[in-house]
Amino acid sequence: MTRYSSRIFPFLLLLLAGVALTFAACNDDDDGGDDGPTDAPTDAPDIGSVDVLGIWGDDELTSFEALVKPWEDSTGGDLSFLGTRDITAQLTTRVEGNNPPDVAIPAEIGLFQDFAAEGLLAPLSECPGLEAKITANYPDGFVDLGTVDGTLYGFFMKADTKGTIFYDPAYFAANNLTPLTADSSFADLIALSDEILALGLPPWSMGQGANGGTGFPGTDFIQQILLNEAGGDAYDGVIDGSVPFTDADVKDAWEKFGQIALTDGYTSQGSADVINATNFQDGVFPPFEDPPEAAMTYMGGFASGFIADQFPNAVAGTDYDFFPFPGGGVTGGSNIVYAFNSDPTTCSFLDHIASADAQQIWVDLGGFTSVNSNVDASSYPDVVAQAQAEQLTTAETFRFDLDDAIGGDLQSTFFTGVTSYLADPSTLDSILADIEAVR
Amino acid sequence: MIGRAWWIPWLWLAPTLALLGVFLVYPSVDTVRRSFLDERSDNFVGLDNYQFIIDNPTPLSLDTHAALLNNLLWLTMFTAVCVGLGLLMAILTARVRYEAAAKAAIFVPMAISFVAVSVIWRFMYDIQTDVGTVNAVFAELGKDPVAWLISTEAPQKAFLDVPPNDTPSPFQVNNFALIAVGVWNWTGFTLVILSAGLKSISKDLMEAARVDGAGEWQIFRRITLPLMLPTIIVVTTTLVIQTLKTFDLVWVMTGGAFKTDVVATLFFKAAFINRDFGVGAALAVVLMAFVVPIMLISIRRFQVQEEIR
Repeated sequence: MTRYSSRIFPFLLLLLAGVALTFAACNDDDDGGDDGPTDAPTDAPDIGSVDVLGIWGDDELTSFEALVKPWEDSTGGDLSFLGTRDITAQLTTRVEGNNPPDVAIPAEIGLFQDFAAEGLLAPLSECPGLEAKITANYPDGFVDLGTVDGTLYGFFMKADTKGTIFYDPAYFAANNLTPLTADSSFADLIALSDEILALGLPPWSMGQGANGGTGFPGTDFIQQILLNEAGGDAYDGVIDGSVPFTDADVKDAWEKFGQIALTDGYTSQGSADVINATNFQDGVFPPFEDPPEAAMTYMGGFASGFIADQFPNAVAGTDYDFFPFPGGGVTGGSNIVYAFNSDPTTCSFLDHIASADAQQIWVDLGGFTSVNSNVDASSYPDVVAQAQAEQLTTAETFRFDLDDAIGGDLQSTFFTGVTSYLADPSTLDSILADIEAVR
Repeated sequence: MIGRAWWIPWLWLAPTLALLGVFLVYPSVDTVRRSFLDERSDNFVGLDNYQFIIDNPTPLSLDTHAALLNNLLWLTMFTAVCVGLGLLMAILTARVRYEAAAKAAIFVPMAISFVAVSVIWRFMYDIQTDVGTVNAVFAELGKDPVAWLISTEAPQKAFLDVPPNDTPSPFQVNNFALIAVGVWNWTGFTLVILSAGLKSISKDLMEAARVDGAGEWQIFRRITLPLMLPTIIVVTTTLVIQTLKTFDLVWVMTGGAFKTDVVATLFFKAAFINRDFGVGAALAVVLMAFVVPIMLISIRRFQVQEEIR
């Protein structure tokens, strides 16, 4: 036995040391994981750190950190940010485990409304001066959306219009095609698609794949059609439940979407399977390839960021642009910011990111539309971003993204429903019944 | 032991028992408790959650029947193919000079985490031929690309254009694609253990059989297989338990969409995305119920082995 122990013992000791070192290293990491340098200058007063849970990663995260930096420099605070697209699961687990983050910045408001109703959030009035600033500087529509049972719990930043159809102006000009306007109708859109089809190019490009949200582009398309064909009241009805998904207006919106996605030759992807398998970002690129593989693509305003990244030589307005979804009604999404406590650090942080000065930083970096009315409209980096901001603020009828407004399992069922519908359009009635059953 | 106080063994066991108690016993008991309560674990609802699993009222949101059937498919196909391939390769590699290299090459996937494997194969299965290796090969052979992770068609449609177009629920192309990834990952494990078992069979036995005129297949059926049975059973039990735990592979590759859900991904969705802890807990209990008989068999075999000693 002694022979073994003298050989094994040092090895075991080494193993133990290695394990201990690994634990020490892991525990030293911030709970954030993804964030960049967050060292506060040593001469500023240190007001502690704020734990934020959001969905941003990569470019968006870098921009957000730039937005927060002035706060860190002046107050000595520390941003601890965890960005995950799986934010619903993370939030749910942490709240259940009595360990919520200080601040959450998701994109859907269903869970926000649940939390607020359950009394888990800190009203913005508990932070000195914050509520007054929000009600003064943000449009009424957005203030109302952040209010639950009469109390203001959240505000919105980084809005996005979803009423944009992207196209290549050069291709349209070369083929004598006219982009539609807000006054056009859905029939005009079909006519335009047929015109392009006759030229020999698939008029549309579409991809539904997305991590954890496959099917969301389809839901965006359907809700845009619904808003423009059935009107704002019907749309609101679907959100609050008075209009079921099995309603004729909703079914009509789905069928119109099916017309675009499933008509022979309409999409460059070709078949429902390929549409479902194509990543939503990849589905945006075909109209801007050289030579173009499609003519138009429907996607929210954030697509201009992907296009600019994928085609670095593309000039906004000349090589890519958008025309408004026919009908004039605009749906849009936005990230909502809400807090689980009203500690001084949290309040100071919220105060900073709600301000026009901070949001201006991200506006300048591109890919961000602010809802704060004090942000200068002309400061957007290119014509496309400016047009999107204008569309958001001047839309005749504006509604918050439908599935983001309802949230929860209805949202995920809606997504799954889109892919099922594309795979087998004859099952539409049962799909709609299933979605309604989950409400 | 003479001269030792009765409580000393318990002292040594105490830390392990404490950890097991906190991280295993308490969560299990709490899960069973929650399966009888409603979504936020406030009120008692009896067997409603189990009724939900049986009825499957919202297949678009949480398809319990699909998940259970998929789990059965995984159980049978994954285990059978893994053990079968492992056995085949154990026998084949025993006959070549580069045995160690071959076994190492097959074992390497085991060293990668499930998530990394899933990401790699997600790219391999991609629909675009300039990204997805599998579809690129198909394109070279002149066939259409197949949406491996999405299509719920009958599996043979991917290779040959023969009917039927649709087979009953679990027999879908995407399920088989996922199982293929699991097999790729775990065959190394079965290979290594079965290879060790193979080597424990005395060479003299095989020699004697050959001298007596037995063919290779007869040797396999009459000598190798019966003598390796204990090893095969151990490997099978481990794989069955592993397959019932499958979560990361399915979650990272498809998120449980397109009817590839297994019970583990389903209860994750139910509990943490839909915030319905009642149904989530009920599903977890169902999974535990599947595993318990396997565990009992394992423990019995272990006890039998102890008695032999």
